[in-house]
Amino acid sequence: MAAQMIRNRMQPWTFLAPFLLLFVAFLLVPLIYAVYISFFVRRMGVLYFVGFQNYITAIQDHQFWVSIVRVFFYGVVQGVIMIVLALLLALLLDTKWAKFKSLFRLLFLLPYAVPGVFASILWGFLYSKSMNPLLHDLKFDPLSSGFLLYAIVNIATWEWAGYNMILYIASLTGVSSELYEAAKLDGCNEWQLARFIKLPLLKPTIVMTCILSFIGSMQLFNEPFLLTALTPISPDFTPNIYIYNMAFSMTNLPYAATLSVFLALITILISVIALIVNRLWRRRTPTAGAGASAASAA
Amino acid sequence: MAQHTGSATAQMKDRTGVLPQANYRAVRAKTVATQSVVTLILFILAFYFMLPIIWILIASTKNAKELSSTGIFSLPSRLHFFENVRLLTTYQHGVYWMWFLNSAIYAVAVAVLTCIVSSMAGYALAKYDFRGRNGIFLLVIASLMIPGTVTAIPLFIVEKAFNLVDTYAGVIFPLIASPFGVYFLRIYIQDVVPNDLLDAARVDGASAARTFWSVVFPVIRPALVTLFLISMVGTWNNFFLPLVLLNNQDLYPLPVGIESLMSLINTPEAAMTVPLYPLIITGSLISIAPMIIGFILFRKQIVTGLTQGSVKL
Repeated sequence: MAAQMIRNRMQPWTFLAPFLLLFVAFLLVPLIYAVYISFFVRRMGVLYFVGFQNYITAIQDHQFWVSIVRVFFYGVVQGVIMIVLALLLALLLDTKWAKFKSLFRLLFLLPYAVPGVFASILWGFLYSKSMNPLLHDLKFDPLSSGFLLYAIVNIATWEWAGYNMILYIASLTGVSSELYEAAKLDGCNEWQLARFIKLPLLKPTIVMTCILSFIGSMQLFNEPFLLTALTPISPDFTPNIYIYNMAFSMTNLPYAATLSVFLALITILISVIALIVNRLWRRRTPTAGAGASAASAA
Repeated sequence: MAQHTGSATAQMKDRTGVLPQANYRAVRAKTVATQSVVTLILFILAFYFMLPIIWILIASTKNAKELSSTGIFSLPSRLHFFENVRLLTTYQHGVYWMWFLNSAIYAVAVAVLTCIVSSMAGYALAKYDFRGRNGIFLLVIASLMIPGTVTAIPLFIVEKAFNLVDTYAGVIFPLIASPFGVYFLRIYIQDVVPNDLLDAARVDGASAARTFWSVVFPVIRPALVTLFLISMVGTWNNFFLPLVLLNNQDLYPLPVGIESLMSLINTPEAAMTVPLYPLIITGSLISIAPMIIGFILFRKQIVTGLTQGSVKL
């Protein structure tokens, strides 16, 4: 019989106090304040209550929606490229042919240690004609307005592919070697092993990384913000850049708060939908884990 | 285990029995070929991932003139690295090293305080039965979904009211309020710290505080190391929050400081008088170096942290 949890009225609150104090002051209060001030407008330094007017303005704000559509598109393109690359890395390193596995794993993961700001500076200079004369000869400008989004896709992929690879490798190492042995005895070659055993096993992790990557993409800020030093970038390039400019260049805090709340709602809605779809999907098809244990039992 | 070796020998018998010698050699040659192709692909991919890092190592040894006139992988006529470091050190009376120190202060302070605050809260939520326990835990989980950038601008207004804008505390406090840390340690403490151990401590007459510091804290050390590293790296890399909360450049951490140099590229007066490119490049290299070295040294703990943190989420 295991011991019970501790019953005490005051002690838990003493332990919780420092966290709760900080949590309320620096997370809840700003959040509530953001919602509160989004119902006001400021004219001549005086706040006027306007109800949902700011939200109506936001819904009709063409610039805001263009920026949302842009990060949606970016999120899909970047997510697909990065996850395919990360899967390729994880599956290649998991074959019997790969040499120097731990060295390669480290090299692929190392960009993750480079802060986003510096990743943007490094790639930004490599993209810049004044620093990389080769681009001049190739007549290729990665920072031109038509290519800029893909230039950022490359920066983010470089930063995060190794991180996703590590998550896939972790899921693969959890698999019992007996399953692989069984598959090999049944005549599976390495390709079939990857296609029919490992990929299905990775499915839950792939779904999770897709969601995390898309949510991260919605918040895109650092990379385009840093690149403004090297190439003109519109003040509404991403929702967060638009919000930042609204708050600090236009000094329209109530509207910036409105857009922040709006963006948070969209992000939360997407994650909730993704989680529900994922739940339903998993219930419909037997989970990879169950399949694996059934196979090894057989 | 017995099954495992059994299947391996069965496979070996099968191989030598069925395949004639010549055929076996062909299979071996094919394996070697595949092995080389796979290794080649891995090398090419590794080159892609190392390209910017190799470039900055070379670029930090060039002066301004060579940076703009030579190819990205061409080596300089002589090493200008220490010259560049001296430029960096003398730029505005050494403000760069101030930024470096600030980054270290923010990172260490946030990491230490997050570990203490989160483990206390995680312990209360994991081991105490009290009214409001589930409500608070739900609130913590819900707040994990809120993107950090959403609260940054309102945070600025709130901190202005408390006179916390342009202070160290103003940057450190919001980062300690880490729902992830509480979530992570609550789960860990629930799994790892046995209730019997806490009972035993109480029977021995230990106070609640003593039980926590001398019994719980040592048991959860592996999780604390992970959380310490995650918060330290996260704070060192954080850009948006200090960008919004700081105006005084003496308080900047490295990313915000270097960004302020980047933005000078577009102001012609500054670009003419200050060798901006060598400053930014050498400054970036010195900012990245501790992270990369730390990463190589602590790769095991960091990888565990990354996989535990997100797989459990």
